[in-house]
Amino acid sequence: MLHADEVRHALAAAIQVVDLGILWYTFVVNSFFALLLVLAAPQLFAHWRFGSEDVLTRSLTSSAVPRVSILVPAYNESVSIVDSLRSLLTLQYPYYEVVLVNDGSSDDTLQRLVDAYDLYEVPPAVMRRLRTQRVRGYYRSRTWSKLLVVDKANGGKADSLNVALDAARFPFVLACDADTLIEPDALLRLARPFLFDQKIAAVGGTIRVVNSCTVEDGRVIDARVDSRWLAGVQTVEYLRAFLFGRLGWNLLGGNLIISGAFGLFRRDYLTEILGYATSTVTEDFELIVRLQRYLKEKSIKASVVFIPDPVAWTEVPSSVTVLGRQRERWHRGLIATLITHRSLIGNPRYGATGLVAMPYFLFAELAAPLVEAFGLILTVVGTMFGLLAPRYAVAFFVVAYLYGTVLSLASILMEEVSFHRYRRTRDTLRLVMYAFLEPFGYRQLTVWFRLKAFHRFLRGDHSWGKMKREGFGSGTAEAAGTGPAVVRAPRLTPISVPEI
Amino acid sequence: MLAAAVTVEAVVIVVCLLGLMALRYRIAARRRAVEDGVRLLEPVLHTWLVLDRDLGAVVETLRRMTAYAAFRSLARLSTQHVTFERQQTLARVLRTEPWVAAMLRCSGSRFWWRRFDAARLLSIVGVEADAACVAQLLTDRNPAVRLVAIDAAARLNGRPLVEQELDDLPRHQDAVQAYQLAALARHAPIVAQALEPRLRPDTPVAALNAWIDAAGALAIPGTLSTVRTLATHPLPQVRLHVARALRRYADPETPGVLLTLLADSDWRVRAQAARALGALRCGVATGELAEAVRDPAWWVRYRSALALAQIGGPARDALTALTQGDDRMARDMSELVAGLSTAAVIEMSEV
Repeated sequence: MLHADEVRHALAAAIQVVDLGILWYTFVVNSFFALLLVLAAPQLFAHWRFGSEDVLTRSLTSSAVPRVSILVPAYNESVSIVDSLRSLLTLQYPYYEVVLVNDGSSDDTLQRLVDAYDLYEVPPAVMRRLRTQRVRGYYRSRTWSKLLVVDKANGGKADSLNVALDAARFPFVLACDADTLIEPDALLRLARPFLFDQKIAAVGGTIRVVNSCTVEDGRVIDARVDSRWLAGVQTVEYLRAFLFGRLGWNLLGGNLIISGAFGLFRRDYLTEILGYATSTVTEDFELIVRLQRYLKEKSIKASVVFIPDPVAWTEVPSSVTVLGRQRERWHRGLIATLITHRSLIGNPRYGATGLVAMPYFLFAELAAPLVEAFGLILTVVGTMFGLLAPRYAVAFFVVAYLYGTVLSLASILMEEVSFHRYRRTRDTLRLVMYAFLEPFGYRQLTVWFRLKAFHRFLRGDHSWGKMKREGFGSGTAEAAGTGPAVVRAPRLTPISVPEI
Repeated sequence: MLAAAVTVEAVVIVVCLLGLMALRYRIAARRRAVEDGVRLLEPVLHTWLVLDRDLGAVVETLRRMTAYAAFRSLARLSTQHVTFERQQTLARVLRTEPWVAAMLRCSGSRFWWRRFDAARLLSIVGVEADAACVAQLLTDRNPAVRLVAIDAAARLNGRPLVEQELDDLPRHQDAVQAYQLAALARHAPIVAQALEPRLRPDTPVAALNAWIDAAGALAIPGTLSTVRTLATHPLPQVRLHVARALRRYADPETPGVLLTLLADSDWRVRAQAARALGALRCGVATGELAEAVRDPAWWVRYRSALALAQIGGPARDALTALTQGDDRMARDMSELVAGLSTAAVIEMSEV
């Protein structure tokens, strides 16, 4: 029989070993983020220089730019659709069209478009290559020749994008949300890689948080950091995810995240892979994984790149409930995508995507909430029962927390050095404050939401959940089910700090 | 070990915060310097441009600034306000300035941003003597430097440089080719001379297509007549580029060649031929275009219907008649195009 003290010592030793394992996990994951940061820095400098050179932007107004079809799915967007569409129709870009798909809205979205843009119905003279819900009609505008509106039965965002993909005329397509505000020169900037002789499969730009910014006529005229905690913390999170997360992946060669709210794609590749998957709740992430897979399998040397200076603005959830639904859905989509494409994980045939990106998403993204929650519970219980020295637990937390804060501060630093969107010192100070506050409460919340994703995934839940947004102007919009009019923001790369 | 890690991280945080403050100050200072430079330079530059005097004041104003501010101010104002001809005059007086010479010495720097600035400056102050330097920058390993060097090359008027650019053209992607051609258009006569011997049926296809596109973009009649002789090339991808280029060549013999291409076995050639017939407003092709609206290929039907709408008059009537026809695909396409406004027809035909 073992003595009680021996059991106690054995337990304490076991907890310490597990905690040490979690510490190493934290260290490795965050060090990987630090590596991304190091890789991103010179690229950020280059893009900042290119972006601030008027010669490069001006050169893009020439006939050299590729033709682009902007695909806009809309569901129950009656309140804002006319203004949103006008801002899309007045972008600084020489050759583009806008294909807006009304996804069986139950409100008067279509009628508002007909009235505002003098639409008339045209025959279905488009090449149908993708299987979608029934298309009810195609409309052209007498006043805006670059506008095509498609009316269809409700089928969700991915289905609408597939209809738009079929109706698009140009070789490149830009998928964006009806509630995303694209900066006037963003499309020009997004086309820069083409001038640099790169063979491109997809290009992504930055998504920034619009909450609290001053918006006039569908344009952000004054960038602010929200004083409310939840939106403010997400502003830092977005900066971190875009300014070094994705830039770093450019050099590693396995960029797997191009935001569904703002990404430019080669249309023929998307058609080859049969467009967006309608069965997933994170169609943007799944699409890029499938695209990378296709490129590798066909030995096509075309890259998926991210460039930081083209900017689109999106509203982030300002209530914990909505944030919870969003993060839970994102994680559920991540689980489903990794399971669907599990054959890529660790497979050298898929190059950096198989050997680096997919394992990263498995260990650092998918597993993160499980490890974090386990670490938190273990440490609290261990400390309560005297199995873990409180000093050790506190020191452990400080190490993990400070590492994350260092990375957040570095991304704010990079923002200041490069694009400097937030001109007021007060806004920069707010960003710094939120970088320090993020680990207190916010991180634990997102861990909880992501844990719920496992539960809902195992139950076979494929719904988007009901979302609510405040809108840029007055009024509140609400959307439900599979409709696309939800708060759509890009997948982020959270910093994984196990809570102990 | 934990204590050491905490210390290191705390130090990094402090460094980040200090860096944040220092960079904010430095960036603001540099931005202010450029804004001040622009404010000082604008009136003297304006005096020179409008009254054609006091060029010395422009030079003197720039000399008083730091090299960074002088370069940025000049780059911003010269690209916005100074015509190509006046830039040549400005280039001659600025080329010997110490700050210019210092920046141009960086054209061989191992840092790309210095070579980039040198190429950018050469696109403003470059003279014939800089041809070798520009030629080197045109083959720089950094694509941004190469791109700006194209602007610099456009300032210089030399056959070897044009030959080098034309030889490089097929190696570039479409966007870079289009950009390079826009720059080469400044030296159209030299480019035409250099292109003529290259437009031969035995030229490798990729290069031949790029050079046919160049002839089309520059729209030089003599060169396009050579392009037209390639309409019988055995390879469809070459005929496709010929059909596309010929839409810029309004000549009595062109419609005949395009009508032959409208009956090509390859649908892409037929579509481009229809587009070219529309762009040239070839009323004589009405019957063939109306027939092509029944083509099995969607793009041929689309381009042919647009061509009929573009030509107008009897061709527009033929398009309207098709909306009542018994061929469903032709009817759908003609209905789609017949409903478009004139502006929409022009825009959709263009792209």
